[in-house]
Amino acid sequence: MDKAIIKEIFLLIFEVFKALYEILWKKIKNLFGLTWDRFFGFSDVSSEQATYQEWGVTDEDKWPSIPEAPPINLEEPQQKIERKEVAYLPKTPDLPDGYGDNRIVLMVRDPEWLFTYWELRKDLMDSVLNTLGAMAHTVKIILRVYDVTDIIFNGYNAHKHLDIQVTGGTRSWYIKVSEPNRSFCVDIGFLTFNDTFWALSRSNAVRTPCMGVSDVVDEKWIGIEKLYEKLYVPVDTGISESVFERAHRNWQESLKEYVSSPESLSGLAVSKK
Amino acid sequence: MEKGYLSLILHAHLPFIRHPEYSEFLEEDWLFEAITETYIPLINVFDKLIDEGIDFRITMSLTPPLISMLTDALLQSRYIRYIEKRIQLTEKEIERTKHQPEFNQLAQMYYRHFTNVRYVFAEKYHKNIIHAFKKFQDMGKLEIITCGATHGFLPLMNNNINAMRAQIQVAVTHYEKHFGRKPRGIWLPECAYEPGVDQLLKEAGIRFFITETHGILFASPRPKYGIYAPIYCPSGVAAFGRDMESSKQVWSAKEGYPGDFSYRDFYRDVGFDLDYDYVKPYLHGDGKRTNIGIKYYRITGKTDHKEPYSHERALDKAAEHAGNFMFNREKQVEYLASIMDRKPIIVAPYDAELFGHWWFEGPDWINFLFRKIAFDQKTISLITPMEYLEIYPVNQVSTPSFSSWGYKGYSEYWLNESNDWIYRHLQKAAERMVELARTNLHLDENSSLRNKALNQAARELLLAQSSDWAFIMKAGTMVEYAVKRTKEHLSRFNKLYDDIRSNNIDVAWLADIEGKDNIFPDIDYHVYQ
Repeated sequence: MDKAIIKEIFLLIFEVFKALYEILWKKIKNLFGLTWDRFFGFSDVSSEQATYQEWGVTDEDKWPSIPEAPPINLEEPQQKIERKEVAYLPKTPDLPDGYGDNRIVLMVRDPEWLFTYWELRKDLMDSVLNTLGAMAHTVKIILRVYDVTDIIFNGYNAHKHLDIQVTGGTRSWYIKVSEPNRSFCVDIGFLTFNDTFWALSRSNAVRTPCMGVSDVVDEKWIGIEKLYEKLYVPVDTGISESVFERAHRNWQESLKEYVSSPESLSGLAVSKK
Repeated sequence: MEKGYLSLILHAHLPFIRHPEYSEFLEEDWLFEAITETYIPLINVFDKLIDEGIDFRITMSLTPPLISMLTDALLQSRYIRYIEKRIQLTEKEIERTKHQPEFNQLAQMYYRHFTNVRYVFAEKYHKNIIHAFKKFQDMGKLEIITCGATHGFLPLMNNNINAMRAQIQVAVTHYEKHFGRKPRGIWLPECAYEPGVDQLLKEAGIRFFITETHGILFASPRPKYGIYAPIYCPSGVAAFGRDMESSKQVWSAKEGYPGDFSYRDFYRDVGFDLDYDYVKPYLHGDGKRTNIGIKYYRITGKTDHKEPYSHERALDKAAEHAGNFMFNREKQVEYLASIMDRKPIIVAPYDAELFGHWWFEGPDWINFLFRKIAFDQKTISLITPMEYLEIYPVNQVSTPSFSSWGYKGYSEYWLNESNDWIYRHLQKAAERMVELARTNLHLDENSSLRNKALNQAARELLLAQSSDWAFIMKAGTMVEYAVKRTKEHLSRFNKLYDDIRSNNIDVAWLADIEGKDNIFPDIDYHVYQ
């Protein structure tokens, strides 16, 4: 047979396999993306899904995969039903993905959780990565959460810190600190394999809310124990605790079991609990 | 002489929903339902008590968006159309049910109710029911307090003091315009307080606010009287804590009064129950079945089988529940008074729309409660927080704890996976608004267009900040509308920002959005500087 024909046949077979491989790879990636989201459900929701490129990272394979194409939307049918509830839906304008800022913002959710979101400038990240040279391939993006309670933070004097590795494409994160009445701030940056941290941006500081009856007593206004006792049904745990401690614990429980609200105006559940 | 006080507080609020671009709009019904089922029934209760010379005290927050809608000519005329359609339907219903006496009686009840509501709205108060509330306030029966300008959740504004201040100042100015004096109290949006907010209240001349129970309970130093007396924040503004015991009796889905089997069932509405073609003229343009407000059944039990509603029986129940509530407060006050060296105050706040809309008999319950308190006992007196401060001007100084009345008591309901995406945009817009105000401190005479654009930017930011949108996104119904509103106001704001900075204001477009988002016509953007 003519060599050229054989070559053509081989090329054809190669093309077919290549196409098959690509389809298969895409499916695996999608599947992986879904699974990833399931396990690490922190990634930004829906419209906020950032693209990978925003991170300006050169080598894609170093990072956990975030699906490029939108993953199969399992909630699609449900959303369709919802759509019917609204009488008129002219097109909704989209908001910008970012504002060209290089910043990280920290917010308080409750005594245990903080929320942070960020936007990083590609040129700044590139310049840091350039400085790192060969090490750039080994860096991880982390959130470094500092406990800065009652200090003037200079970057080095935090009471303690906690590192959280975040995945490429993510632009926000819930941070569990589990510490009421403490102050925190957070840096986002690159951590190299030899533990050098290159901060890209530092957040504002926030203080978590109190979660308990205060130990501070004003001598002119000493708390009436019985009033606190009356607030709650005493629970006998067998552990000796003060009325204030008990009040605190009972209140925590009641916070968790907040009475669900009656619904209100046509689905606008204005009632809170 | 009474041994203690009860302060009933109703928080009346709806987000600003007004769509002149459509001939009718589904979500505008929220306002119309609230007028029909809550606001006018309450006005009727108050008017009747006054007519009969029965003294009472109540505190109500009327939020700026609600006041804006209730005083808006377009919505007022749309409300007339709404109520007239219901009157028309009840006329048909009286005819349709003429051989079913149980239902016929109810159809007649609704006919009387709707015609009365129409009369009170259109004739008695000339389409502006704010006049009714102002009248009660001027008579000293009602203390109207304000709220955030658009019910923005202050602790989630991330310490942008100017943005938080604008929520307060705009509300105070708006209140003054409608009630002829400054507000003395405020219902913080979602009851959400964080230390420092009181300083902004102080600047605005506000004397007191309400916090969730743990706002006071976890205050520091430890409050001597717990939640049964106010504390003064370091700024001097008083904080009153919500009493859980009285709240639960009304609120609780399990133990609360509104779930009684004799009361009207909220879910069985003719909009869903009757023949489609028959009710279609009373539905919205898209023909989707919705609540019309005529409901013929009582809760009956935890069953799908529902018995016809008996208004008489339900009223007996409301009277019984009012008696029970009063009895419990008497016992509570007697106990508290025995261990306190002053008269305790029990602060019982509720969403106003619970009464009448969700709990149909709620306004009657308030009516019975006030009458019983006036005639049947001597242990408790009704009071407003301001009156309590006049009796007890000396209070402990303590800083309340960060708190809200939402699920789990902090910010989670407004900051979670369903709605957290809004904050990067809201906070950016708030920063940009401050920047605009600071870079446009003094405008010359030829800058009226720029001035208009700056004021509209402030309106768009405020409207985007309504905590209602985040709330709805989490609650899961009408989500798309809340998303749309958030994006729409933010996009309008962003365009205004760009246009103002590039000095290229789109005149026709600005006029268009001024017509749509016409809340706070007198706003002055300098409030952000």
